[in-house]
Amino acid sequence: MVTLNDRISCHTPNQDGTTTQEYFINMGPQHPSTHGVLRLILKMDGETVNDIIPVLGYIHRGIEKKAEAVGYRQQVHLTDRLDYLCALMNNWAVSAAIEKALNLEVNDRIQTVRTIIAELQRIQSHQLWWGVFGMDLGAFTPFLYGFRDREKITEIFEKTMGARLTMNYFQPGGMMYDIHPDFVKDIKEFIKYFRPILKEYEDLFSGNIIVQERLKNVGIIDAQTALAYGATGPVLRASGMPLDLRKMQPYGAYSKVNFTVPVGTVGDSWDRYQVRIQEMYQSLLIIEQLIDNIPDGPHMTMKYAAKIKPPAGRYYTQMETARGIFGTFFVSDGNDRPYRMHFRTPNFNNLWSILKMAPGGRVADLVAILSSIDLVVPDMDR
Amino acid sequence: MGLINDNPENPFKEAIPGSPAFITSIDKVVNWARSNSLWPLTFGTSCCAIEVMMAAGAAHHDLARFGAEVARPSPRQADLLVIAGTIVKRMEPLLKTLYDQMAEPKYVIATGACAISGGPFIYDSYTTIRGAHEVIPVDVYVPGCPPRPEAFFYGLLTLQKMIIEGQTIAKPFERRKPVLSVLPPRIKLEQIRDELVKNLTARSVTDLNQNPKELGL
Ligand code: SF4
Repeated sequence: MVTLNDRISCHTPNQDGTTTQEYFINMGPQHPSTHGVLRLILKMDGETVNDIIPVLGYIHRGIEKKAEAVGYRQQVHLTDRLDYLCALMNNWAVSAAIEKALNLEVNDRIQTVRTIIAELQRIQSHQLWWGVFGMDLGAFTPFLYGFRDREKITEIFEKTMGARLTMNYFQPGGMMYDIHPDFVKDIKEFIKYFRPILKEYEDLFSGNIIVQERLKNVGIIDAQTALAYGATGPVLRASGMPLDLRKMQPYGAYSKVNFTVPVGTVGDSWDRYQVRIQEMYQSLLIIEQLIDNIPDGPHMTMKYAAKIKPPAGRYYTQMETARGIFGTFFVSDGNDRPYRMHFRTPNFNNLWSILKMAPGGRVADLVAILSSIDLVVPDMDR
Repeated sequence: MGLINDNPENPFKEAIPGSPAFITSIDKVVNWARSNSLWPLTFGTSCCAIEVMMAAGAAHHDLARFGAEVARPSPRQADLLVIAGTIVKRMEPLLKTLYDQMAEPKYVIATGACAISGGPFIYDSYTTIRGAHEVIPVDVYVPGCPPRPEAFFYGLLTLQKMIIEGQTIAKPFERRKPVLSVLPPRIKLEQIRDELVKNLTARSVTDLNQNPKELGL
């Protein structure tokens, strides 16, 4: 077994018997391309990265401990702050867990609207990723394009939910408010606007030879290793494993729609890029199939202020967010507060796949790889 | 305060010779220049950073209108620290270091409930620092969770106003008391936009309401 002590020793002999002096570089926590406050200690040999030691905790807010002190209804608000780019999907996961504990069936309207909104947010999250990915590779235009289009979805959300980033919209038992009268019209307009733009994204960025050279065959991880590391979402799917909970354990309205799960073949940064771009097309498809026939019904099946007391037991629900599987596990002792709340967050597990992707590559590739995993640091540290 | 500041022997703290009228007019020019060319440090720890990014980087809101779009990743080149997000105990010494590394004169805007008081994590969290002012001095607080880009701009305009009115080169490191830049209650989005336009018009040489057709565009 390799201990941390071995990993921080500085003299790894080369294959031909000579030794070179290795050195350490500290990357982060204040670094523009770690997307927050992630710290990586790099063991370098010249320009080559030999080992990476991630150091976490710079944004550890103690959310899981805090969750034990607040009621079930308030858990939704905490999940907003985990992976804030998939805030609504996190809301949904924790609401679904509580609904499961209460044996509560929500109606078709709620399920359909939730699905539409979740897919919109998947697009929104991928837009931001695309913009930042471009910037990490040294191109500023994608950043402007991605953020311009992200604003359009933000406006749709704002109309219905009254918030731009931390929405607290999905509640146990339904949604906080009914959808805005313009909701359907706005989304249709957005789809009409965004489909050609997505094509433009590809023309602008994917076709660029520099981008391809920097992404292809860089940061390869095979499906078995990715699974062993617990990676999910586009990171895992890029290496050819079609694990997508929307298909495998359909929840919401996913069983009613047709869509494919894009998978990669090699598992390099390019595949991860392609998987996300294709996912945006698929999300548009899903929304298109649902938007025209949102069933009627109430948007809430529970009293708003009712105290929630799930029967004692352990409950787990998982969902596919834009970054992978988000799971909520809680232990109830019959009180109005959980005895223990645990979040299985996708970013924490995805992070460790860089231990396999980056060593042996150049330090410039590390930035591209980090960006292609699409990390949200507060989700890791919680 | 910064490192230089705490030193009582600091030669830069001496009064500058010259008539008060002369100094005042120089102050005006210097403060005008400083307030319109803030260089923010890209520093975001959590959720608020996204909204600040939307405000600062994206074309829709566009921080460049206020001369503050040159975001620098290195604290040595920046003079505006926007604290966007929660500060936890482990981050505290690093935030202090970042602040100390920035060049004088430096300004701090704390955006979001977390940077003001600990926000949603003020109770029952064992790691969160209850407000950035416990670590470094703050000039402007912008409330919200997260604040809208308009609210952030409002805070930035407040800071610019503070800079224009506040500093004199005779007492270079004197700071004003921190202010809370709250959007007035029941204010409409259009009103904020109007005020932004008004502010911009008052200070700019370009006519913002020009007719593009007349210019042949
Ligand atoms: S104030 Fe709200 S949005 Fe901002 S960092 Fe804190 S929790 Fe996140």
